Amino acid sequence: MLVTMENVRLSYGRWPALDKIDVEIKQGEFLVISGPSGAGKTTLLRLIWMGDIPDSGIVEVTGFRSDRIRKRELPKLRRKIGIVFQDFRLLHSRTIFDNVALPLQVTGTGKRVIQKRVISLLARMGLSHRRNAFPHELSGGEQQRVAIARAMVAHPVILLADEPTGNLDPEVSREVVELLLEINRGGTTVVMATHDPRQVPAGKGRFLFLEKGVLRGADRWTELDEES
Amino acid sequence: MSMIRSAIREISLNLHSKPGARFITLLMVALAFIVFDTFLIISWNLQGIMDQEENLVGMEVFLERHVSTAQGRLIGDNISIMQDVKSVYFVSSQEAEALFRAELPGRAGLLDVMGSDFTLPASLQIVFQAEAINQGRISELSRQIGAMAGVDNTVYGEDYLPGLIKTVTTIRRLVLLLGIVLVSSISLVVFYTVRLSVVRRSLTVDIMRIVGAPWWFIRIPFVVEGIFMGVTGSAGGLAMAAVISKVLSSAVTHRFMPMWWMILVILLGAVTGVVGALAGSYEKER
Ligand SMILES: Nc1ncnc2c1ncn2[C@@H]1O[C@H](COP(=O)(O)OP(=O)(O)OP(=O)(O)O)[C@@H](O)[C@H]1O
Ligand SMILES: [Mg+2]
Repeated sequence: MLVTMENVRLSYGRWPALDKIDVEIKQGEFLVISGPSGAGKTTLLRLIWMGDIPDSGIVEVTGFRSDRIRKRELPKLRRKIGIVFQDFRLLHSRTIFDNVALPLQVTGTGKRVIQKRVISLLARMGLSHRRNAFPHELSGGEQQRVAIARAMVAHPVILLADEPTGNLDPEVSREVVELLLEINRGGTTVVMATHDPRQVPAGKGRFLFLEKGVLRGADRWTELDEES
Repeated sequence: MSMIRSAIREISLNLHSKPGARFITLLMVALAFIVFDTFLIISWNLQGIMDQEENLVGMEVFLERHVSTAQGRLIGDNISIMQDVKSVYFVSSQEAEALFRAELPGRAGLLDVMGSDFTLPASLQIVFQAEAINQGRISELSRQIGAMAGVDNTVYGEDYLPGLIKTVTTIRRLVLLLGIVLVSSISLVVFYTVRLSVVRRSLTVDIMRIVGAPWWFIRIPFVVEGIFMGVTGSAGGLAMAAVISKVLSSAVTHRFMPMWWMILVILLGAVTGVVGALAGSYEKER
């Protein structure tokens, strides 16, 4: 199991943002987490990259346990995870090449390896001609593809995409989802949070539904079945 | 190895970004330091004046007219071995006249009016150990010396002296207090200014975190930036204070502060800069 959440609860202040969360994510899965705004989708993804630690319950991700992980181990966990956000989060003062190369630069990868991997990844995304441009010179769809390239460049085992199509028009959104599916076919586990699950064709992934911090999806139902 | 190279690259990228915002921050830090530097210059000069005043804690012993130079010196020797006496200087009648003419040129005519028979009395200038002296001790010494053969009378600042010692101590305490207040407020200004300029780049910190950069790698550009801002800001403040001091030097005679004070000022800038930068980058906990 790549990710396991056991009876997880997390509160910001008084109200729990997430409660009684049990999720298991298998290697190679394409998991879609949907639900209305404020349901806790972003919070669930934050638990996976351990940007938050649960108040109770345990999150385990590729062998790192939320109750045991030390602060200086967090970078090691994050190198196994690629993250894509709705607002892209690119460094505006750096070129596309440098943005994509960042995860390799921060781990001290050699210059030649960086060159090779970034160029070939940009080529696959159809962006190699834009490698010396700056993020603001690119369209939203292109920026999101750069963000996805950055998330994938260090060969993560799991790709988290939080509302990756939120800022894009339908046509470009479809392309981005298609790209995520392609990445998943390459063997990388993908977890995508979206308020609109119809973006992913039925049958192409497993769907979980969050509402007011509680899961109303397959995992939760199976567990209830087992209990009864 | 290439990790260090890319950390150095991060440092230089960071230092080259947002020059406008950095300039404003530097200006803020420098201005804060000018206030502090001005205080330092004033208290350094006050220190000098007060040292001088304290050295002037002394007594003038006028000798009777019949006392010869040799006898005068002998009396001086006897006084110089008394407890709490730092030094004794014999001023002969002729020297007294020369001094009078030199120090009060406007009044030199007075001496001429008095005629050639008139001479100023010879005297002994006594300086006490400043730290041992108080009013009781000084009047006791005055009584002892006044009773010696050949001594006409003694003069010391009977009203002025106790006040002086008290004033000097009070001023010292006030300066120290003001200094503490200023050091803390300067530190806060630098701390918050630098922290703010780092927090403004929290997106960079965020991105570095999610791509798995180690903690030291994320922080080191900010530490360098903090040192840079603190050192340049405080040095800039010093430079500006030096210019102001130079411009004012003809109007108000004063000294600039000593070298080791300047070094401490720059160190203060560096330390508060680093602490501010670190606090800014720690804002994001995980
Ligand atoms: N940093 C925070 N401090 C306080 N409350 C927070 C914080 N982050 C999220 N919340 C609250 O937690 C709940 C879940 O938020 P979350 O961002 O996970 O929702 P979401 O499903 O991602 O919503 P959206 O679709 O709008 O992105 C919300 O009620 C939100 O107000
Ligand atoms: Mg969200």
